[in-house]
Amino acid sequence: MITIMQKLFKRFFTDLFKKRKNLKMGLYGPPNGGKTTLANKICVDWLGEEMGSVSNVAHETREIQIKEQVIIKSNGKELAFNLVDTPGIATKIDYEEFLKVGIKEKEAKARAREATKGVIDSIKWLDDMDVVIIVLDSTKDPYTQVNITIVGNLQARDIPVLLVANKIDLRKSDIKKIQSAFPQYEVVGISAKQGNNMDDFYESLFKLTR
Amino acid sequence: MPHRCVRCSKIHDDGSAQILKGCDCGCKLFFFIKKSALEKKEEPKLDLSEKEKDQIENDVCDIIGMNKEDLEHPVILDLETVNILQPGKFEVDLVRLFNKKNPLVYKLEDGKYMIDLAESFKREKEKKEE
Repeated sequence: MITIMQKLFKRFFTDLFKKRKNLKMGLYGPPNGGKTTLANKICVDWLGEEMGSVSNVAHETREIQIKEQVIIKSNGKELAFNLVDTPGIATKIDYEEFLKVGIKEKEAKARAREATKGVIDSIKWLDDMDVVIIVLDSTKDPYTQVNITIVGNLQARDIPVLLVANKIDLRKSDIKKIQSAFPQYEVVGISAKQGNNMDDFYESLFKLTR
Repeated sequence: MPHRCVRCSKIHDDGSAQILKGCDCGCKLFFFIKKSALEKKEEPKLDLSEKEKDQIENDVCDIIGMNKEDLEHPVILDLETVNILQPGKFEVDLVRLFNKKNPLVYKLEDGKYMIDLAESFKREKEKKEE
């Protein structure tokens, strides 16, 4: 009888603790990989609303965005977390790139300044993350300084990582190249825009946070 | 070809023992750096107008969230984290930025730097607590 009571007490306090501690899940990666598209997909799937705006122009997300208490369910299991969408990490931000897509000079320079601040903020926030999802464009070469620096630093900090190879709906997509570049991590191929393979992605999130 | 440590950014010459054994800081990840890229970094800087220099200073103040009037005298150091080539053109040294031991330094032009003191002190405090 005492053992049962002890177990009940333990479960009660464990559940209480679990509810209080909000797991922070960060979406990281280079610009235009599809971080916000994925954040929107997760939020639409489980909360019924989008998180942020997306565009084809790089550095659309220039401020950290947080969606609290996202709860996902899979095979009778439940996972609650705070979703943190971060600005894309880049080594070079040039306003002239924005001029090419029709943005006016003053606005382009402001965008470059905000994007630079975004890179600094993304890195500052890294230490607060419990798990990180690195979102990469699977149509692009994964061997870049940005990708290697992000992965190398997450590894050094012992933060659990899931690699997402996004845009698998596009013809040029090559998941294997990402897998061979970062063999130490699980890679899930998805299309956040089309919603392809999202079940595997959610299943991987459960494995990551176990 | 020189190698640069991902964690501490130290440059090791081609064939040095650290590339095989790992850097002195313990990290075993390196970047290849082409000699041409190192030379390119040393190319002469653009002549900026006073207006552009003002704009750069304003941009940095905006990024670090401070008023220009509140800044103390400029501090000169031989390292940089965010290099501002001209208004709207930024180069971010990710290796330094990820390395919490380095203070956050903005290079405005040759010989003129700004340090994000609040962030640097925060990092120093975290370092002591570790």
